[in-house]
Amino acid sequence: MLDTILIGLSLGSILLLVALGLSIIYGSMGVINMAHGELVMIGAYSTVLAQIHMGLSLFAAIPLAFVVCFALGLLIEKFVVRRLYGRLFDTLLATWGVAILLQQAIRLEFGLSFFGIHIAGLGPGLQSVKVPDLLSEPIFIGEFLIQPYRAFIIIISILLAVITWLLMYKTRMGQQIRAIMRNKDMAAACGINVRKVNALTFAYGAGLAGVAGVMMSGFKTVMPDMGSSLVVDGFLVVVVGGVGSLVGTIVASGLLGQVNGIFAALSNDIIARAIVFGVVIAIIIWRPQGLLNYKGR
Amino acid sequence: MLKHDHLRIAAYAIFIVTVLSLPVFFDEFWLNRASKYLVYGMLGIAISLCWGYAGILNLGQGLFFGAGAYMLGMSLKLASPTSLQQGGAGPVPDFMLWNAEPGAVTDLCCINSGSYLWLPFQSQAFGFIMAIVLPVLLAFILGSVMFRKGVSGVFISIITLALVLLVRLLVVDAQALTGGFNGLTDLGGLTFGGYEFDPYSVATYYLAAVSLILILLGTRLLVNSRAGLVMQGIRDDENRAKYLGFDAAAYQTFFFCVSAAISGFAGLLYVVTSEFVSPTFMDLAFSISMVIWAAVGGRGSLLGACIGAIVINMLGATISESEVFVESWQAIVGLFFVLVVLFMPNGMAGVVHGWCRRLTTKSSKSEIGGQLQ
Repeated sequence: MLDTILIGLSLGSILLLVALGLSIIYGSMGVINMAHGELVMIGAYSTVLAQIHMGLSLFAAIPLAFVVCFALGLLIEKFVVRRLYGRLFDTLLATWGVAILLQQAIRLEFGLSFFGIHIAGLGPGLQSVKVPDLLSEPIFIGEFLIQPYRAFIIIISILLAVITWLLMYKTRMGQQIRAIMRNKDMAAACGINVRKVNALTFAYGAGLAGVAGVMMSGFKTVMPDMGSSLVVDGFLVVVVGGVGSLVGTIVASGLLGQVNGIFAALSNDIIARAIVFGVVIAIIIWRPQGLLNYKGR
Repeated sequence: MLKHDHLRIAAYAIFIVTVLSLPVFFDEFWLNRASKYLVYGMLGIAISLCWGYAGILNLGQGLFFGAGAYMLGMSLKLASPTSLQQGGAGPVPDFMLWNAEPGAVTDLCCINSGSYLWLPFQSQAFGFIMAIVLPVLLAFILGSVMFRKGVSGVFISIITLALVLLVRLLVVDAQALTGGFNGLTDLGGLTFGGYEFDPYSVATYYLAAVSLILILLGTRLLVNSRAGLVMQGIRDDENRAKYLGFDAAAYQTFFFCVSAAISGFAGLLYVVTSEFVSPTFMDLAFSISMVIWAAVGGRGSLLGACIGAIVINMLGATISESEVFVESWQAIVGLFFVLVVLFMPNGMAGVVHGWCRRLTTKSSKSEIGGQLQ
C-alpha cells in the first residue's frame, strides 16, 4: 500500500513540476503554452547532451536545464507570445506551432542533419541518461523498500514548489505578478512594468519545465515527442486545480497522481490514464472554475 | 459593378466546378488521393462551423471523425472476404479469432465478451447510419451537459481534448473488440443498392465530391439562416444574446451536433476511400492538425477552411515525397502556422476578403466618380 502511495506521489510531483510553470503562466498572462511539454523535452535533452559532451551528472544538469529553458522561454515570449496577449485561443495555436518547431529542431539536429553533420545525443532516436549511483541503490526503511530516485523527485518538486511560493508571496516581483493577475491594467497604471514582469514570469515557468525534464530523463527514455502528452496532463492539472491557484495546482497534481497510481496498480496503465481523463472531465463539468479558484478575477 | 456577394458566389462556383471536373484530368490513382483531400476539406468545414461561427474550439474533433470511421469500418470489416470465411455461421473478424480463448465458438455472438455488439453491423446500412448517429449522439450528450453547465471558452477545448484521448485509450485497450493499436484493416467495399464502391473509381470520387459540395452549400445556408445569425450573435456576446431571450445552450448544442455529424460523415467517407480504420484518427495531433488547416485557410470562412484543409494536405503529400523535405515538412508547417497566427489571424480567407473589399470599394468609388462627372 505504502509503495503504491509513493508511486502516486512521485507521479504527482512530476505533474506538479510541469503544472507549476503552466499555472503561473496561464494565471498571470492568460497564455496557454502548448510548447510547455517541449520545454520539458529540451530540459531532458540538455541532460543528455551535458552527460555526453561535458561529462556532467544529473545533479549538475538541473541548473543547466533551468538556464537553457529560461533563455528559450525569453525568446519564445519575445517573438511569439508578446504579440498575442489577450488572444487566448491564438496563444494556444501559436505555441502549438512553436512546439512542432522545437520537436523538429531536435529531430533534425537543428537542421545540421541536412549537411551531414551529426551531434551525438540528438536526432530521432531514443536517448537515456545515467542516474547517479547515489540515487539508484534501493533503501530499506524497516520493511519498506524505497526507490531513492522517486524520493529525490518528490523532494526536488517540494523544494521548487516552496521556492515558487516564496517568489510569489515574499518578493517584490511576486507581488507584481499577483497584481497583474488581479488586474493587468490597474497594475500597469500603478507603474508596474507589465511587459518585463510577464517576460520573466514566462521564462521562469519555462525554467521549471526544464527542471522537470531533468527529472523525467532519469526514469524515462528521452525522445523528441516525449513532451506532447505531458502538456496535456499539465493542463488538466492546472484546470482541475483552478487557474492561478498554487495550492490548487498542488492539490490537483497530488489527486491526479494518486488516482493514476492506484488504478495502475489495480488494473493497467491504459485504464488508469483513461480514468484520470474521466475524473478530469467530471471535475471540470462539476466545477468549471476548478477545485480552488483564484478569487476576485 | 462588383459586389462582395458576387465575388463570394464566384469563388464558390469556381471551387465547385474545379472539384467536379477533376476526373477529366486525373487517373483513378490520383482521384483516390484527391477524394481523401476532399474528406479533409469536410473536416475543415466542420471546424470552421463550430469554431469560426459558433465560437466553440473543439480540440477533439477526431473523436467524431473516429467514431464515424469505426462505425462504418465495423460493417465493412464484416463484409471482407477473410471475415466471411472463418468457418463460423456468419462473418467473424480475423483479429477476434487471434484474440479468442481456445475452444470459443467461432461466431460473432459469443467469440469473446462483447462481440455481440458487432451483430447489427452485418448490415451495412446500419453501419452507415450509425456513423452519423453515434457522433451526433456523443455531441448531443457532451454539448448539452457542457453548455447547460455554463462551461465556456478554453474549458470546452480542454474537455474535448481530454475526451478524445480517453476514448482513444479505451479503443486501444479493448483490443479483442476493436483491433487495438492496429485498428481495422482488410475491409470490404461499401455496397449501395447492389453497386460496390471501389475506392479507385470515378464513382467513389464523385461520392466524396458531391457530398462535399452539398455539405458546403448546406452549411453556407445554415450560417445565413436565422439560427446561424443568432449563433454568431451568441459567439460575439453570449450574455447579450441571453438577455434578448435566446437559449444560448440550445444553439451551441445544435451547432456542435451539426459539426459532429459532418465529421462523422467525413470519417465514414475516409474509410471508403482509404480502406482502413486506425486509432490514430483519435490522436491529439490529428485533432489539432484539423484546427491548423482551418486556421490557415480561415476559420471565419467555410470555403476558406475547406480549401485550407485540402491545400495543406495536398502540399504535404506532394512535398513529403521529395527526399529533402520528408523530415523538414513538419517544421515548415510549424513555422508557417506560427506566422499565420501572428500575422494573418483570419487566415488566407481573411487576406482574400481584404483584397476583395478593396476591389469592391474601389469600383464603387469610381462609379460614384463617374456619376459626378
